Amino acid sequence: MSVAALRRKIEQIDRAGCAVQPCLPLGFPEIDGALPGGGLRRGCVHEVGGDEAATGFCAAVLARAGADGGALLWLAQHGDLYAPGLVRYGIEAGRLVVVAGLRRPGDVAWAMEEALRCRAVKGVVAESASLGLAASRRLMLAAEGTDVVGLVLTPGTGNGGPGVPAAVSRWRVAAVPALGTNREAWRVQLLRCRGGRALEQVVAWRRRSAMWNGEAQAGCGGAGS
Amino acid sequence: MTLHRCSRRILAVWLPWWSTERLVRRRPEALERPFVTVSEVRGRRIVDATNLQARKAGLSPGMPLADAMAVEPDVVAVPADPAGDARALESLGRWTLRFTPRVALSPPDTLFLDVGGCAHLFGGEEALAAKVRTGLNGFGLASRAALAGTPGAAWALSHYGGNRNGGTTATPSVAGLAETKNALAELPVAALRLEPGVAEALSAFGLDRIRALFDMESVKLDARFGSGPSRRLAQALGRLEEPLSPLRPAAPLEARRAFAEPIARAGDIRAAVDELLAGLCRTLHRTGEGARRLRLVCRRVDGGRQSLVVGASRPRRRKETLAPLFAEKLDQIRPGFGIEEMVLRADVAEAVEVVQMGWTNATPGSADAEGLAGLLDRIGNRFGFDRMVRPWPRESWLPERAVGKGPASPAAAPARCWPEGRRRPLRLLSPPEPVDVAVDEQRGLPVFFVRRRQARRIRAVAGPERLECEWWREDAPPRDYYWVEDDEGRRCWLYREAPARGPGASRPAGVSRPPRWFLHGLFG
Repeated sequence: MSVAALRRKIEQIDRAGCAVQPCLPLGFPEIDGALPGGGLRRGCVHEVGGDEAATGFCAAVLARAGADGGALLWLAQHGDLYAPGLVRYGIEAGRLVVVAGLRRPGDVAWAMEEALRCRAVKGVVAESASLGLAASRRLMLAAEGTDVVGLVLTPGTGNGGPGVPAAVSRWRVAAVPALGTNREAWRVQLLRCRGGRALEQVVAWRRRSAMWNGEAQAGCGGAGS
Repeated sequence: MTLHRCSRRILAVWLPWWSTERLVRRRPEALERPFVTVSEVRGRRIVDATNLQARKAGLSPGMPLADAMAVEPDVVAVPADPAGDARALESLGRWTLRFTPRVALSPPDTLFLDVGGCAHLFGGEEALAAKVRTGLNGFGLASRAALAGTPGAAWALSHYGGNRNGGTTATPSVAGLAETKNALAELPVAALRLEPGVAEALSAFGLDRIRALFDMESVKLDARFGSGPSRRLAQALGRLEEPLSPLRPAAPLEARRAFAEPIARAGDIRAAVDELLAGLCRTLHRTGEGARRLRLVCRRVDGGRQSLVVGASRPRRRKETLAPLFAEKLDQIRPGFGIEEMVLRADVAEAVEVVQMGWTNATPGSADAEGLAGLLDRIGNRFGFDRMVRPWPRESWLPERAVGKGPASPAAAPARCWPEGRRRPLRLLSPPEPVDVAVDEQRGLPVFFVRRRQARRIRAVAGPERLECEWWREDAPPRDYYWVEDDEGRRCWLYREAPARGPGASRPAGVSRPPRWFLHGLFG
């Protein structure tokens, strides 16, 4: 395909000679298709905005990032992250190290930078309202060349906030009514992605083994594309 | 002989009830009660050692425990622990290092203190011996002591001198060959620390007392009884030197450096810390330990001092891994007019674990494992190790108690999991938020709730799941948990306090309060 070949070429120019970085497929074809390389790029930082639904999304991505072993880190703003709830998304007991009470953006940025530099770490989630351009650039540089997946979870609605300016992709995840009581439904929006295309998709999370499912939104209609 | 008399003065301290009394110390309930240690010999439980009360009741070592129980039903019996006895004797030996720098152990229950040359510091030999025994008495340890020019004579006098069973207050003390000979003459041959069986063999020949051995030719003795008796006698009388291997005081894990010129520049401080670290790491390598907590104390010219503490999540002894921990804190040092001395000490040190597996698939000791431990150390040192947790399953039904703190070491993996089939929220509110809930009276399910003055209609409910706290805790009523989803798709975990059960909880009818509702968690 000439368009695909052209895309790949542009991508190579974008990366300016860097080795092609591996990607982490999310396991949902529609979403992976919208991302360059067929998944979330490893070795860089992504921004995920939203409330608990975004927390679940981050947990699911983190579990996939650490599927082949490696340490997983969660840099939490408060102490309310509840580990038994993460099992549903694939993070087993004892897998995660949580650093709680990082309220200052500077602390979060420092801890995340340290974590991204560490080769043994495969996934980091940092909760922070915003990180600023300089700090997020530093994070990108720290992660460069590694295969870590860095996620910055910006709580709240996150509409138009500064967020993480240098992030490779920017997501918004919000809860939508699900079809049954034993599942979650999320509206996942890919607001920005270098080399990718915008996307809005409603997905459901059923059990932790079966990954994503496309799902018609229940109740108040109007599903995403 | 006079040479020996001047050079050596040995205080032998015998702890007749050592293996029992040291255990009684930890068991206040066993105080003043007959107490024995028991070991298993060919499937039978045999009394190994007794304390004074048990001895008075007629129990003695070698007795089957069943017989001992028949004689004295009140007896407390615990398993014998010879290795523990030996370790405890060594630490007791370290305690006596305050009296003399030369202390030797004579297992299982005797200490030799070489007090030659230091007795005057304590007001004489008698006073020194009294001080030692008073100290031991304070630990609840009965002791008998004797002073002599040789370890052999001191041992014999402490064990057999005077009335053996009664505690004597004065410490027997002998000096010089004639006096020693005199003191030993009437003691049984067992006082010579003979091999098992040899004393009995001597007695069979009518050689009960040491006096009988004085005039025997050592060649004849050796021919019949081996070299033991003649050698021990010669050692006791000082004719043969008996070397003691002194207890070495544990070297403090520290490195210190005094500066000829006070230093104040950051570069100098860094270089000095580097050098101290290198020294300390060498010591740690020698002792086979790693530091868990390091303290750097800087003494300033003006007399002020400042200390920096650095922690590590697991014992470490490599300079390359310890240096970065300090690097981040060095700018906190305020040198003032200059630092004249720096001391680096390992406050907490542990044996270095060599094998490390699990949690991550990083190979033990590999760059990955090292890097991860280093990362956790840096984070822990900056924010406090208590803020860095590995959530760990804990045996409890109450959600807020089901998460414990896991070990920092990545080597450990949890033995159990959280219940798989039960839905638990991603965020747990602590404390639970009281909410107003409207309940459908017919089905008993919540239909509507108000949180932060915002009304939410519930469109889907699952539950209830009843969770009760353990029966031995009666501080919380049982809870009925509901998974609810509101119109906007937000999923929450609500619970209702169920009316408490049990006889004490019944309320007069008609006064029943409406049940209280709480929001406890938020789902993804």
